[in-house]
Amino acid sequence: MMNRNDIIEKVKVALITAGSTFSADKKEVYRKAIERETVPGAKWILETTLQNALVAEKNRSPLCDDSGIPHLFLEVGPNKNITGELIAAIHKGVKEGLRALPGRPMAIKGGDTQRIDQSGGLDFDPGALLSAPILLKPTDEDVLRLHILMHGGGPEIRGKTFRVFHRHKVSVVTEEIIEWAVEASGKLGCSPVTLAIGIGRSHFEATSLMLEAMVFGNHSIQNEIEQEITDRLNKSNIGPLGLGGDTTCLGTFLKVGPQRASGVRIVSMRPCCGIEPRKASIDL
Amino acid sequence: MTTIITPITEVLLPQLNVGENITISGYIYTGRDAVLPKIVNLIKLRQLKEYGIYLEGSVIFHTAVSVAGVGPTSSNKFEIESSIPALSAAGVKIHLGKGALSKDTIKALNQYNSVYAVIPPVTALLNSKTLSQKVIAFPELGMEAFHLLEVKDYPAIIAVAHGKSIYDEQK
Repeated sequence: MMNRNDIIEKVKVALITAGSTFSADKKEVYRKAIERETVPGAKWILETTLQNALVAEKNRSPLCDDSGIPHLFLEVGPNKNITGELIAAIHKGVKEGLRALPGRPMAIKGGDTQRIDQSGGLDFDPGALLSAPILLKPTDEDVLRLHILMHGGGPEIRGKTFRVFHRHKVSVVTEEIIEWAVEASGKLGCSPVTLAIGIGRSHFEATSLMLEAMVFGNHSIQNEIEQEITDRLNKSNIGPLGLGGDTTCLGTFLKVGPQRASGVRIVSMRPCCGIEPRKASIDL
Repeated sequence: MTTIITPITEVLLPQLNVGENITISGYIYTGRDAVLPKIVNLIKLRQLKEYGIYLEGSVIFHTAVSVAGVGPTSSNKFEIESSIPALSAAGVKIHLGKGALSKDTIKALNQYNSVYAVIPPVTALLNSKTLSQKVIAFPELGMEAFHLLEVKDYPAIIAVAHGKSIYDEQK
């Protein structure tokens, strides 16, 4: 494992990359959508969004003023150790990354009640924003690989984790997801979306799987279910920013986990906005 | 593409139509959930000038202003949308944000010869087009204070004008 200062620096740089850079598959899916889009206003929004991504990447500056809440996903290989020192260094790197990006200062100060009603005011330090709990995942590859995702507020408002009674048909589950996705995309205001979906046995597990889907999802690799959901959503005519058009959804990232012997599946769906998933990965 | 330079004259508004691309240059105000109801209150108290606020022919962009930059928040949040009629009556000509507005708000915009335009959430691009920024009122709100920006060629699309909404047309 590298030394503490190297970890901090690497995490800092990765956070800036996550907040400022479109992945290669995201750029490609935008270019294809621009070519395909038939509604002039929709095409203009897609072109402007891609142009924004290129400027952000060049300047290493935020893609969106809602620079997001850091979510961390750590893959742990068979011979790798996790220590308290490592976790502390990761958090320090996140803090420095938020200051350098810079992230939007949106940490709420105060005790429980002040943090709920926002009466304690805001901390002006972007680095005061704490990351969500780290999610660990064992891997066969002998790596310690950290994935950083930056979650904006809009998709959190429109995301949903709920039970679906599957009636022993995949189509029952996918139809329910499409219904949720159409409603969420219409209200999001920042389409086109990338749908991240986890299906598991509990709300926690489904949400974890949804995050994992965001980590490993790729717009260029879509399985049959993912493609069906994407295609159906694109027929909704919601379009970019909800102004109408052929491009409502850029892709679907689905992760199906272990399931329980039961009539119920827990589904977590996050309609990532047009600049998400914002993510970057590093080996520590 | 129509180029708009603030302050905006009344005669320009009838020429703007739903779906039309525009660019905005000049000085524009910013405000969102926390501060817009306070500005509406200043209108009621006739205290705008004490704060150096001149709404005639102005643009209000529904955004926070932070070190991360600017970008539209949803204009249909209660505190924002409910401020639009009073702000329009006081002279605001373009409300800049994102998301569909209610029929009542569309009607009020038409009544006061104002429009609503959607600006894409393109923070990096907008930062390159923002020339200066300063707090005008309520600095205690931090990034949600009432700011004045000097901008060049902010891109937007007219979403509500003359009683019509782009969101209705796409249904």
